[in-house]
Amino acid sequence: MKLYNISLNSLWRRKTRMLFLLIGLTIAVSTVIILLNISRAMNTDIAQKLDEYGANILIVPKSDDLSLSYGGMAVAGVSFGDKELENSDIARIRSIKNKENISIVAPKLLNVAEIQSKRVMVVGIDPQSETMLKKWWKIIGNKPGNDHEALIGTEVKRKLNLGLNQSIQLKGETFKITGILEETGSQDDGLIFINLNKAQALFNKPAAISLIEVAALCYDCPIEEIVAQTSEKLPGAKVTAIRQTIQSKMDMLMQFENFSLGISGVILLVGALIVFTTMSASVNERKKEIGVFRSIGFRQRHIMQIILLEALILSGMAGLIGYLFGFLVAQNAAPLVGAESLIVQFDGMLLLFAFGLSLSIGIGAAFYPSIKASRLDPTTALRAL
Amino acid sequence: MSLIHVHNLTKTYHSGEETVYAVNNLSLKIDIGEFVAIVGPSGSGKSTLLSILGGLTHPTDGCAIIDEIDIYSLSTEQQADFRKEYIGFVFQSFHLIPYLNVIENVMIPLAITDYARSEKFEMAMTVLEKTGLKDKARRLPDELSGGEQERVAIARALVNHPPIILADEPTGNLDTNTSKEIMTVFRQLNEEGQTIIMVTHNPENLSYAKDCITLRDGRIFRNVNQHEPISVEG
Repeated sequence: MKLYNISLNSLWRRKTRMLFLLIGLTIAVSTVIILLNISRAMNTDIAQKLDEYGANILIVPKSDDLSLSYGGMAVAGVSFGDKELENSDIARIRSIKNKENISIVAPKLLNVAEIQSKRVMVVGIDPQSETMLKKWWKIIGNKPGNDHEALIGTEVKRKLNLGLNQSIQLKGETFKITGILEETGSQDDGLIFINLNKAQALFNKPAAISLIEVAALCYDCPIEEIVAQTSEKLPGAKVTAIRQTIQSKMDMLMQFENFSLGISGVILLVGALIVFTTMSASVNERKKEIGVFRSIGFRQRHIMQIILLEALILSGMAGLIGYLFGFLVAQNAAPLVGAESLIVQFDGMLLLFAFGLSLSIGIGAAFYPSIKASRLDPTTALRAL
Repeated sequence: MSLIHVHNLTKTYHSGEETVYAVNNLSLKIDIGEFVAIVGPSGSGKSTLLSILGGLTHPTDGCAIIDEIDIYSLSTEQQADFRKEYIGFVFQSFHLIPYLNVIENVMIPLAITDYARSEKFEMAMTVLEKTGLKDKARRLPDELSGGEQERVAIARALVNHPPIILADEPTGNLDTNTSKEIMTVFRQLNEEGQTIIMVTHNPENLSYAKDCITLRDGRIFRNVNQHEPISVEG
């Protein structure tokens, strides 16, 4: 016979009431776990999809000229003169302090050429990084492999009446069309893409780069820092964060996190109140019992131990069940938050957090009733002597 | 040296502006091995005296010394330790814990001791055998008769071998035959050397006690003293 035997038997005796208490606390814990799991899964989801939104940093030469437009983004004039970017700038970008966050660097050289008496913009690109950056690109055929291959937009194809494997003349050199871009609805539809090195040679601009698009994995870090670090490395360049690509998503997530935090706080408070009122009622009902224990020689701490042990057992169970329930619900909660799917993974730390949270609420809320019980005057409690 | 020495004990309560003397300047000594019955009309201070002797009710004045320990000079927690060591209570309403079975009820005082589990079990079974309930050790209290519940309460009071048993109306809820059985148990325990102080209303119980004191208005009104074990001071 130990004190825990008294606690366990007491819980079993009051099993209906204690079951309600357990359910209440479990709902509180599981709600917090659901909200935490969802917001974490949404974060992960955004991190994974970030590069799919394309570039979030644009680097162009500093220029006093009026800008040309590139898909709604400001691009310095095509004739950059002394202020052009260079191939070596790519390595500099990759050497910033937050280089781990730099995912893709896609340099471009923009030039205008004439084909069939029509002016067309020819863009020198690194096909590998460009296709990584623009995951939405669907190419019929292949991206440019060698220096005499070209990828054309669907508008170029239509207006110049070109087709796959046909040839075009650029500055007196022949390029074979190896790929046609399916309609994107962007400026890319009206462009001809060739290898960057070839474009630099063709337009007699060795090592020159008109602009660099950068995809930085920075969903949870201030993109301004990466911009500042890049600006420091490239003093002759204008580095701009394209916030709109993820800002709305981030704002929504932030709002959801704040909402989750508020709801969690309220639910935990309600959970604590449930424990408090149930334990207080239990102490009132057990006055005589406590009087017996005290008359037998139980110290105040023994009475507290009995009450707190009951709270510990209940809240421990609620923590474990609450985590499992919350985990299962969060796995199926994607439609509730407007997501296609959410990847919710088992997390030992979150389980520990749920367990600790539940214990804190349970024991914290039972603490005052346990003190009250321990301080009961045994004679009054018994009303017998 | 007496086991119990009560000196100039006073306990007052306030009823409105009036001061009520539950115990009024009472002194007495009780030796080891006595079986003392305390009788008196309702409100005469019997239960209050018992409660003070058990370290449960702090007197307004005077002192209660048991085994040379002035129990009301102790802290609250030391008084709890004192009760664990010295006192076994038997209540009129039994006060068994309803969700514990018979042997678990008997083992409650042992829950806060360092005895091994097997020792606790043996100690509980020994007192249950003594009170004739060994075969009902796994029953819940509400499965027992009133007399059996009282026996469980006695077994619980005895299990850690306290020097003093304080019984408050132990037969108050029992019929005549069961009362006799319970009083026989008390007498047997006393014959084995157990000191017992019992509050009772039942005159038939007095024949089982060695000595009897009658209280009236918080004072000792009469001392029926066959062997002069109780000494009334003043």
